[in-house]
Amino acid sequence: MMCIMKIKKFIWIFILLILWQITALSGKVSPLIFPSLGMILKAMVHAIIQGELLSQTLFSIAIIIEGLFIGAILAFVLAIVSRMSESLNSLVETLITLAHPLPGIALLPIIILWLGTGRASIVFIIVHSVLWPLLLNLITGFRATPKVYSDVGRNIGLNRLVLLKEIHIPASLPYLISGFKIAWARAWRALISAEMVFGAVGGKGGLGWYIFKQRVFMDTAGMFAALVVIMLIGILVEEVLFERVEVLTIRRWGMTEK
Amino acid sequence: MIELLNVTKSFSKGKEKFKVLEDISFSVNKGEILCLLGASGCGKSTLLRLMGGFDLPDSGSIAMNGSKVSKPTPDSILVFQEFNQLLPWKTVLQNVIYPLKVNHKYQSDQKRREHAEKYLEMVKLEGFYHSFPHQLSGGMKQKAALARALALQPSILLMDEPFGSLDALTRQSLQTVLLESWDKTGVSIIFVTHDIQEAMEIADNTLQRPRSIGSSEYMKLYEKLYTILCEK
Ligand SMILES: Nc1ncnc2c1ncn2[C@@H]1O[C@H](COP(=O)(O)OP(=O)(O)O)[C@@H](O)[C@H]1O
Ligand SMILES: [Mg+2]
Repeated sequence: MMCIMKIKKFIWIFILLILWQITALSGKVSPLIFPSLGMILKAMVHAIIQGELLSQTLFSIAIIIEGLFIGAILAFVLAIVSRMSESLNSLVETLITLAHPLPGIALLPIIILWLGTGRASIVFIIVHSVLWPLLLNLITGFRATPKVYSDVGRNIGLNRLVLLKEIHIPASLPYLISGFKIAWARAWRALISAEMVFGAVGGKGGLGWYIFKQRVFMDTAGMFAALVVIMLIGILVEEVLFERVEVLTIRRWGMTEK
Repeated sequence: MIELLNVTKSFSKGKEKFKVLEDISFSVNKGEILCLLGASGCGKSTLLRLMGGFDLPDSGSIAMNGSKVSKPTPDSILVFQEFNQLLPWKTVLQNVIYPLKVNHKYQSDQKRREHAEKYLEMVKLEGFYHSFPHQLSGGMKQKAALARALALQPSILLMDEPFGSLDALTRQSLQTVLLESWDKTGVSIIFVTHDIQEAMEIADNTLQRPRSIGSSEYMKLYEKLYTILCEK
């Protein structure tokens, strides 16, 4: 079932690639606007051999991992704080209500004002994109933990802290994973946008910046090469990494409908 | 062993307060099975939760082995009706071993494992040690929950309609398993049910009459059915 879906996806990707190539080779559009697959591939190979595309990709991934890590720790801390008392819970919920709807990129001008256009600013934006969806899902997950689990935990003698670690966190894993999926998607988009803006104001580094730079050189194939890398990473994380994590945890344990 | 004296408990629904338990007194001796019979909603679960220390009575006292029950302890284990009382991210064996580990029973993992296996064997769950709870049938889940409870070697099991969601045949086999385990371990059991037939079977096997909480109508019905059955 899953497998057939995947094969169908591959067939469609193949058809789309052929359509692309036909359009590019038809001679009706300038290769400066619409490069052929061969040109994109060549640009990609060239950029990889040259080392630039690879190092920019690593630069972006390192930043995103840093942001995800900090964001996740903050989310856990705030989720725990919100469980400590009624008023702290309401404080955390207020923070979520205020900050969650705010796209990270909208904060950019202010962050540049505060932190400049360096790495710290991008990390800040990623933390912002990651923190709120994760926190929201963690809190929802904690609340959705069946009462019988915590009863069992209390019965065998777990104290509040261990109860949280051993019962509430594993029980809210389905929420945690979907929180990470949203967080990842937002962080990745925010990162690329921020890098592009920083490219415009003279920063350096990252895939977004790479695309921006290729535009300056009118290297259309190079721009598409970077887009392909962005897509590949997205697919790799969303369809392979998260998929694996789910198969090894919540699906193995029957904690999901699928 | 466990002793209740004039236990009262009320809940508030909106502004109104309503009494769920009023002036309940009884005691259970070591190694005894007490079957509590009562209609749905009469306060059986409330009473068990009080006895387990999950909640406190408004007035009256509950004492276990002479000391007041104030919080849940591994010495009196509640077994629920819900099939999802096992932790889904642990295998059957891990579900039994984990509480042992938390309570520092035995030094080595090997010993804990042997201990857990002994109780899984007692409830007839051989061959399912490494299954996850979602791979088990309802009856097997309840068996595993029973094994987890027994493995802690508590003084008392508080069973809240543990077989209430099972089909008649499975229920019967679980009742047998329960009575056999009771025989082997000598644990005291408070067995709550709303099912008159179940109360009859448990009580008949242990030569005790169930005690009723809630309306006395239910007990009258029990007596009536019991007499009819005995005459046959
Ligand atoms: N935490 C609670 N808050 C308010 N009412 C409750 C609570 N727990 C139980 N009740 C009420 O107390 C009554 C007895 O419930 P329960 O003990 O679950 O009955 P039983 O287990 O015999 O079916 C019911 O009317 C139920 O609605
Ligand atoms: Mg009940």
